[in-house]
Amino acid sequence: MVNLIPNVVNMKQQLIDATWATLYMTITSAIIAGILGLGIGLVLIITQPNGILEDRIIYSFTDKVVNILRSVPFIILLAVIAPLTQYLIGTTVGTTAAIVPLIFGIFPFYARQVQNALLEIDPGVIEAAQAMGSSPIEIIFSVYLREGLSDIIRVSTFTLISLVGLTTVAGAIGSGGLGDVAITIGYARFENDVTIVAMMIILALIFTFQIIGDQLAQKFKQF
Amino acid sequence: MTESIIDLQNISVVFNKEKQQLKAVNDINLRIDRGDIYGIIGYSGAGKSTLVRVINLLQRPTVGKVIVDGTNLLTLPSKKLRTVRKKIGMIFQHFNLMNSRTVFNNVEYPLLHEKISKVERQKRVQRLLELVGLNEFAGAYPEQLSGGQKQRVAIARALASQPDILISDEATSALDPKTTESILKLLRRLNHELGLTIVLITHEMNVIKSICHNVAVIEDGEIIERGSVKDIFTKPKKELTRDFVDTSTNVKKALLQIKWDTQVNSLGGNQRLVQLNFIGGSSKQSLISELARDYHVDANILYANVDQIDGTSIGYMITIFTGATEALDESVEILERNGVEVVPINLDQIKGDEEQW
Repeated sequence: MVNLIPNVVNMKQQLIDATWATLYMTITSAIIAGILGLGIGLVLIITQPNGILEDRIIYSFTDKVVNILRSVPFIILLAVIAPLTQYLIGTTVGTTAAIVPLIFGIFPFYARQVQNALLEIDPGVIEAAQAMGSSPIEIIFSVYLREGLSDIIRVSTFTLISLVGLTTVAGAIGSGGLGDVAITIGYARFENDVTIVAMMIILALIFTFQIIGDQLAQKFKQF
Repeated sequence: MTESIIDLQNISVVFNKEKQQLKAVNDINLRIDRGDIYGIIGYSGAGKSTLVRVINLLQRPTVGKVIVDGTNLLTLPSKKLRTVRKKIGMIFQHFNLMNSRTVFNNVEYPLLHEKISKVERQKRVQRLLELVGLNEFAGAYPEQLSGGQKQRVAIARALASQPDILISDEATSALDPKTTESILKLLRRLNHELGLTIVLITHEMNVIKSICHNVAVIEDGEIIERGSVKDIFTKPKKELTRDFVDTSTNVKKALLQIKWDTQVNSLGGNQRLVQLNFIGGSSKQSLISELARDYHVDANILYANVDQIDGTSIGYMITIFTGATEALDESVEILERNGVEVVPINLDQIKGDEEQW
């Protein structure tokens, strides 16, 4: 064991800390970006042409913002957004500082995923709810979010996995976490075993998310 | 005079599609009386679906006034409008049930935001399920049900807020004939027992025939003919109406068959090909044998059928009369005097999609 992964054994604690850092970045940004993305996905759905609160201006503005943010490569977004990070967090380096670009990197993606998931709902069901006198709020919570729950869980899992990927890229600005360890230690010092172990921990995280997500989605799927 | 519960005045609906204007509904006036079963028939794209959506403002008219139960809906703020909508139930061709909810919860949905206790709410759902005969399926999900059962759930759901009006948007078009009949029977019962006003759109004259009292025929966004179902069936004026009627009574099919029959195509001078429509009492008399006996006019009956429409018997007969010219004229007169409509048939004008048979 020691021969197989010589460097890992020496920095066991560092890897454990890096794993926590990755989880911290992932979960914190997932919660904030999740709320933002879900909200914006809903805005896109309800203001779209023939939506329950159709509004061309809000729709096309939101749609364009989401498109532009989605188009910026994450590694460039990290740099571009640095002044905002500095303003909000007080520094641009470190795990907490990485959360700001992570949120901006993932919420537009998630908003689009949520929009697509909700588009799967039969418009006839929405029309029926309107015909029954449901208010827009009731339709959002009792129809869209309920009928679309299984699909929302599915796209959330998918997004979470992409987010884990982004946390490793944030290693480029010294965010800490497993990506940072794999690049700055494993790759830069030619300690390949560190890179491989970091990758394996990331894979384990991703599989765990995937399995939990799949089971939840299945649980809420009615046929 | 009965009071009209729905009064649509000068309704036009215009859709703007890529700089092109599409007039889906063109200046329609429509009054529907309380307790009526009113049918709106037309081919797809005629604008009937758009028209009924104007009643609960799912579709806002470009021009016109929508008055339901004395209230002008277009002036209502959205909250008030939602209260009015609860009194207008609606069922759809594709049922539009929520797949994530059980049958029970689907029917319960419209009541969730009403100010009634949970016990009362559940009792009401139970009663509604009983009404549509789906008690034992309360815990099932829509996907587990047949089309007819789904439509029953949709009907129960539409009735949950105790509406005065039920709009049926092609509700039987996705169902087989037997299921259609059972759903129509249920609607007729609801009309009878609850005094529910039903507005029903369809492209099948059989649906109109089996439950409606009044009907409007719609084509290219305009009502081209309207009246009691009995009148429309016996005296259709417009070609489209006649087409719908003939299709449903099988007269059209019979005419096409007759047209292909070469023997009929070579009628002699002392022969006449006519269609006779017997309405009400006249369908019960033995006029044809009278003609043979008293005027020596022979009738070669090619097709005959009796329909029951809104409680009245209506008979259709296609026949070749053979006899002296004077006797033929006199026969027509006698038939007409007895309330039989005599329509001479010109086979050259009978057109139809030959693939029909």
